[in-house]
Amino acid sequence: MEKKYWKGVEELNNSPEFLKHRNNEFTEHLPIEESLGIKASSITESTRRDFLKFLGFGVAAASLAACETPIRKTLPYVIKPEDVIPGVPNFYASTFSDGHDYASILVKTREGRPIKIEPNDLSPISGKGVSARVQASVLGLYDNARTKKFLINGMPASKDTLDKEVKSKLADIAGRGGNIRILSSTILSPSTKKVIADFTAKYPTTKHITYDAISNYGMLKANELSFGKAALPSYHFENADVIVSIGCDFLTNWISPIEHAGQYGQTRKVNKDKKTMSRHIQIESNLSLTGSNADDRIRIRPSEQGATVITLYNKIAAKAGQTALSGGNSAMDAIAGKIADELWNAKGKALVVSGSNNINEQVLINGINMMLGSYDSTIDLDRHSNMKQGNDAAFVELVNEMNAGSVAALLVYNSNPAYTAPNAKAFADGLKKVELSLSFADRTDETAALCKYLAPDNHYLESWNDYEPINGSYSLCQPTIQKLYDTRQAQESLLTWADIPVASFHDYIAEHWKGMTPAEMSFDSFWTKSLQEGTLVTNAPAKRTLSFAGNVNDAASSLSNQKSSGEVDIVIYEKTGIGNGSQANNPWLQELPDPVSKVCWDNYFCVSPKLAKEKSLEQGNMIDVKVGDTTISGPVYLQPGMAEKTIAIAMGYGRTNAGDAANNVGKNAYPFISVVSGSMQYWASGALNKSTADDYKIYTTQTHQTMMGREIVKETTLAEWQKNPKAGNPDVLIETPEGKQRPKDVDLWATEAQPGFERPNHAWGMAIDLNSCIGCGACVVACNAENNVAVVGKDEIGRSREMHWIRIDRYYSSDVTKENAEEKHLGQLSMYGEMEKPTVENPKVFFQPIMCQHCNHAPCETVCPVVATTHSSDGLNMMAYNRCVGTRYCANNCPYKVRRFNWFNYSESAKFPYTLYSESERMVLNPDVTIRSRGVMEKCSMCIQRIQSGKLTAKKESRRPKDGEIKTACAQTCPTNAIVFGDYKDSSSQMLSMFKEERSYWLLEELDVQPSVFYQTKVWNHKAEESKKEEVKA
Amino acid sequence: MSIVESDLRPVLITGDKTMHQITEDICRPIEGKANKYWWMAFIVASAALTWWVICLSYTIGVGLGTWGENKTVGWAWDITNFVWWVGIGHAGTLISAILLLFRQKWRLSINRSAEAMTIFAVICAASFIVSHMGRPWVAYWSFPFANQFGSLWVNFNSPLIWDVFAISTYFTVSLVFWYSGLLPDFAVVRDRAKTKSMKFWYTLLSFGWSGTAKNWQRFEEMSLVLAGLSAPLVLSVHSVVSMDFATSIVPGWHTTIFPPYFVAGAIFSGFAMVQTLLIITRKVLGMEDYITLYHIDMMNRIIVLTGSIVGIAYMSEFFIAWYSGVEYESYAFINRATGPYWWAYWSMMTCNVISPQLFWSQKLRRNVTFTFFMSIIVNIGMWFERFVIIVTSLHRDYVPSSWVMYHPTWVEMGLFIGSLGLFFVPFLLFTRFFPVIAMSELKTIFHSSTSQVKRQQKEDKKGELING
Amino acid sequence: MDSPKRFVYGIYNDEHTLLHAVEHLRHEGIDVKDVVSPYPIHGMDDALGLIPTRISIASFMFGITGTSLALLMLWYMNIHDWPMDIGGKPSFALFKNIPDFIPVTFESTVLLAAHGMVITFLLRCKILPGVEPEVIDPRSTDDHFVMKVRVWEDENESNVRAMISKSGAIEVKG
Repeated sequence: MEKKYWKGVEELNNSPEFLKHRNNEFTEHLPIEESLGIKASSITESTRRDFLKFLGFGVAAASLAACETPIRKTLPYVIKPEDVIPGVPNFYASTFSDGHDYASILVKTREGRPIKIEPNDLSPISGKGVSARVQASVLGLYDNARTKKFLINGMPASKDTLDKEVKSKLADIAGRGGNIRILSSTILSPSTKKVIADFTAKYPTTKHITYDAISNYGMLKANELSFGKAALPSYHFENADVIVSIGCDFLTNWISPIEHAGQYGQTRKVNKDKKTMSRHIQIESNLSLTGSNADDRIRIRPSEQGATVITLYNKIAAKAGQTALSGGNSAMDAIAGKIADELWNAKGKALVVSGSNNINEQVLINGINMMLGSYDSTIDLDRHSNMKQGNDAAFVELVNEMNAGSVAALLVYNSNPAYTAPNAKAFADGLKKVELSLSFADRTDETAALCKYLAPDNHYLESWNDYEPINGSYSLCQPTIQKLYDTRQAQESLLTWADIPVASFHDYIAEHWKGMTPAEMSFDSFWTKSLQEGTLVTNAPAKRTLSFAGNVNDAASSLSNQKSSGEVDIVIYEKTGIGNGSQANNPWLQELPDPVSKVCWDNYFCVSPKLAKEKSLEQGNMIDVKVGDTTISGPVYLQPGMAEKTIAIAMGYGRTNAGDAANNVGKNAYPFISVVSGSMQYWASGALNKSTADDYKIYTTQTHQTMMGREIVKETTLAEWQKNPKAGNPDVLIETPEGKQRPKDVDLWATEAQPGFERPNHAWGMAIDLNSCIGCGACVVACNAENNVAVVGKDEIGRSREMHWIRIDRYYSSDVTKENAEEKHLGQLSMYGEMEKPTVENPKVFFQPIMCQHCNHAPCETVCPVVATTHSSDGLNMMAYNRCVGTRYCANNCPYKVRRFNWFNYSESAKFPYTLYSESERMVLNPDVTIRSRGVMEKCSMCIQRIQSGKLTAKKESRRPKDGEIKTACAQTCPTNAIVFGDYKDSSSQMLSMFKEERSYWLLEELDVQPSVFYQTKVWNHKAEESKKEEVKA
Repeated sequence: MSIVESDLRPVLITGDKTMHQITEDICRPIEGKANKYWWMAFIVASAALTWWVICLSYTIGVGLGTWGENKTVGWAWDITNFVWWVGIGHAGTLISAILLLFRQKWRLSINRSAEAMTIFAVICAASFIVSHMGRPWVAYWSFPFANQFGSLWVNFNSPLIWDVFAISTYFTVSLVFWYSGLLPDFAVVRDRAKTKSMKFWYTLLSFGWSGTAKNWQRFEEMSLVLAGLSAPLVLSVHSVVSMDFATSIVPGWHTTIFPPYFVAGAIFSGFAMVQTLLIITRKVLGMEDYITLYHIDMMNRIIVLTGSIVGIAYMSEFFIAWYSGVEYESYAFINRATGPYWWAYWSMMTCNVISPQLFWSQKLRRNVTFTFFMSIIVNIGMWFERFVIIVTSLHRDYVPSSWVMYHPTWVEMGLFIGSLGLFFVPFLLFTRFFPVIAMSELKTIFHSSTSQVKRQQKEDKKGELING
Repeated sequence: MDSPKRFVYGIYNDEHTLLHAVEHLRHEGIDVKDVVSPYPIHGMDDALGLIPTRISIASFMFGITGTSLALLMLWYMNIHDWPMDIGGKPSFALFKNIPDFIPVTFESTVLLAAHGMVITFLLRCKILPGVEPEVIDPRSTDDHFVMKVRVWEDENESNVRAMISKSGAIEVKG
């Protein structure tokens, strides 16, 4: 009879009490809820908010110590929140909106740390994907340059002191009727607007001024003039058969780029079920991302844009039987005629957009769209967009007021005019005259540095908020981490100063949303549902028949005064990565190569090689560009596709108070902006002179621009493709004694049939549709975030050592091709020499995302001496970092050059103070992915960690993974779904069906490395006669 | 009744040496003091060696980022130097093994130092294999050890593993070949030793060799077999090195002609290096009577032969690139000759193909200064050959978006300069402490190829004519 | 009981004289044990009646051992112990993978053949680091030759000496 030991006398008695509790760790009840000041009952109801509290305990405790001790050494949970399981990510629906970009997102958190942004596919606006800027925004949370305390005159101060001072000042000012101004960028949040209203109620002299660094005031005003509605429409590119974009970079930088990209992607996709695609004509001055995707691209100087619009208007007016307008651009007459024909033929399915901020021009555009019947098909003004509300006139007035000394208090929210304003100097001077100057900035930025008070706002991942980006379409923003620093959400500050008693902004929003609760739902369930889904669409507002009341004649007459007043026109454009510069301190964005120029860590003057020759300039020469009395000197970058006598420079650079990564990177181009006829004008004309300064090195990730006549990106035209689906993509054949054969049929090596090489379970692969890839680079940032890819900084980029696992190659067409070399009487040598030169005037542009192709006959594997890279049974090319000795033979032998070598110890060397090294930014690292040490090779793993977790989930439910259940970071974030991940063994997979299409091809098939990744031919929708020309050529 | 050899055969030992004089001459550098030339050379070499140590420590300490290589050009000076040094090594084995099999007597006065050169050159080469690794501290993983879990071996499909075996075999075999040859000569020094320490050290080095008939019998047999083994070995080593490139898919590397072409190039550069070394040695150590103009002439003949072979290899590469009709292949070669690295290609052509043709003239072949100059030129040319093959092939391969330029850093240059020190320091020590000419073997031709014997033969002939 | 062996040594200064001397004396029934020379003398093996060395056979043996060991290693490591899909190369059968294995096999063969033979040589000749050589005359490594003759009990030593010096020795030792 074995001995029995009792844990205690209770066990001996075996009381029912004891039996009930014996399996709990603590048999008696612990006062947890009490200790956290919660009613014991409530813990069962709203668990998610409690989670945040508990969570806060762990992370906040660690974060407070962040400055001294590494964040890695975070405290274990004292009480494990029930919905946090170490090693298992949690996803929270939330929203990104910084007054410039908007996206409804899912935030991936690990052990309470937000580490990745993913698209919320429930969202009708940004459901398809997330842009590079939004992807990168998570890093901003851990940005060390953030202000960690409230500041008064730059000195840390307690909340209460600041509150007391500010409140007394405000009361005093309001008391004596002094003007209080709240200056903000576009606010999409109804609740925030309500807060401002409440604040105004408390301090009646308050006025809210909205100012956008990159403004669409011209459109707002134009719509007011045309339709009596000062709002931006929402666009439906997916309904457009013919898209004419005039200087409008709608794919990455205009109003709602993610949405537009998604819609555009739909129209560009072709397959056996969808034989047509949209036709896209771009009329622009500098080669924008959108322009480089256009089927036809017409170059005009920005100063000619107004006149060109008049011409186009007249051509269409002629068809529509409307009266013609005076003025116009005779040079464009013929082309405008052709375009008009196409638009008119597509009447009702056409769309004309202009990126101009000129009121008159936008009035004409409205007129054109009206004649084309685009409203309610491709343009929707009922569900109007709130994305941009900036009022240029009001801002100009504010600056005047400030200088006049008639503004007593200025509260700057989410806006940085001291850096972005066209008349920043004036603004700064005016600010000196303001008695109470306060900024809510998250860092001591250019404006905050001039303000007396800094009440730092939370990062959006620490905040509650609600948004109405499009009329009737809402989304919520919820905190995914306890605030890292001693900050307070701006709305709460305002409420506090307005003496409005609410526990938190959350309650305030909830209050506001009570009103929106549908009848059939209780508020709680409505609220929970909305939080879970993160997005909510209310019924469409009643349709109003639009009547066009714009005075086109006045518009035309004032527009035709628009002339170039200098030898060159300067376009001030926005870059896909840096945008308006608010995220400039984000290393991911700085190192994201510009989609078109492929330059990192810089802005520069884009100068066409032609102009450069005239001015005897070379790449890297410094030039002084003088507009009015502002001179900016910057380096020359030779950029094909620029309009005659036109140069361009990007906004968002040359920050001085943004943080170490951004400060003094590039030049600030905002001073070139001027206010013309009531709105800001994003081009200028001035003089260009060679500067005496030494040459400057511009570093790019791609030093060769053309395809050298190789079939890297295969292309065809829609007309040909409709006739022959294999057009532009004939089989690659190799001469053998048995006649021509496909490379894979003449192969010494093993096939799947042979033992040891079967793919018993899965064979992962990826499809890349070159026709819908717009080259925006969102995938690159997503990959950086997912796979802890090192940021290496400008110098290393200069040494061609970027670490990106996925890159987007950009090729220009060249004048000389293999086909026309004979006609041009060129020998082979000179032919190759000429093919290196891209077409100067108006090159065709090709984008091609390249990551590891996971070859089934991988050249890299066979040459590795130590078996550090081998093939998995589900078709992945695997890399064992800690076996690698670093001979770099694999990289040499990789025909796609996708392998990346760790030249330095990026995670330990202060030379690289970025995500892997910076103690605070390290919090963004993905715990599922190893940090690679010095001297080892790395490359795309096809997000193997995602594949594994997907397989596990499926296995737990004893089923196979469903198609689309597992997505690589790049595929998931792609706004146009150009990248599709899937399983060759899954007959239902979309990837497989794409693989079977005739457009599919393997890159460099003749090498027979049998990649798992394949591409689909690029299809150009040229006009019929043009494609005929090409046929003749071919 | 001496061992009769045709009097047409050239004199290999001039200056009417007696056998004792030969011993004297060859032991003199070991027993005497070093002259100032030797010291000057030694100081320069040691300085270079120190610089090598500094650059190597810097590389290993900070990382390969200190070099100029990048995402596209993964190998550059490192592997160029490796191949260059291995190539140089080959002449030593060739002279002592293949010329032995061909019974070329003139090898006897040069094989010893040539073999020494081989060994030190291979050491230099090996140093680059290790230093080019991202993690040199785990270089031993490239030997077939199991990993800590017992089952992860090396990849025998990889040419780099073939290299590991080839180079280590080559090094050790050359070492024993060289050393076994040294045994009798150490015995000579031992038996002449005046001081206790010399007696002790050379007794140790000579393994107690006494030179009995049986030992000599075995000794000769062994030398013959070792030569028989080394001959295919030396050919295999550079073939394997060439396969690092030939088995890859990089256009400009993927070439079946590489093995013979590399071996020829190796012999070419090797003999040039032997010339460089011996022309200095014979001057500094006064060995003109043993390393005669005839020897120099013979080596120059091999240089012009192998040089021409290499030239033909270059041509056929181009022809095949064009004839294959493969886009990438033909562009790789067009790019070599006309691309951004044209200067490297044309310096290679001038140094390796054009200038050696001057050696068709015997006058130049027997001109010591000119030969010395040429030997340097050839080695520069052969360095460029490897640079051209490696860098110009890599920097523009398949996908134009990844085409880049490569620029070396001071560290890489330092490592190359330094490796010369790593080579010359041991070589200079060798000339001081080891017999630089295989005297025991040389004495076997005493009765056939010394000047006085030849003269005697001529006089006998005359006599016969008069009497007859 | 046996009185210690007695040896006399003839010192010569010309290889031909020596060669003849050896032949002559052995013909006379003198027991010429060995000859020490500064370099190998052709014909001396026959003159002394040495049997040919079998060192090359040893080398061959080592060679084939190398070959088989190498193949065994390659088969075990890449095919048997942990076969992997390395770039789709047929790593799952020795005969299929043999082309990749040839270089290593060859090098290992040479490695063992060469080193095995050299070690055999050193052992058989009993020459190893630290071995004290038997030096009869230091000139025997320079330009003189030593003949080692065993004098038997039944032989008259002076007689033998006389014959040696008569055969052309410049001096007789021992």
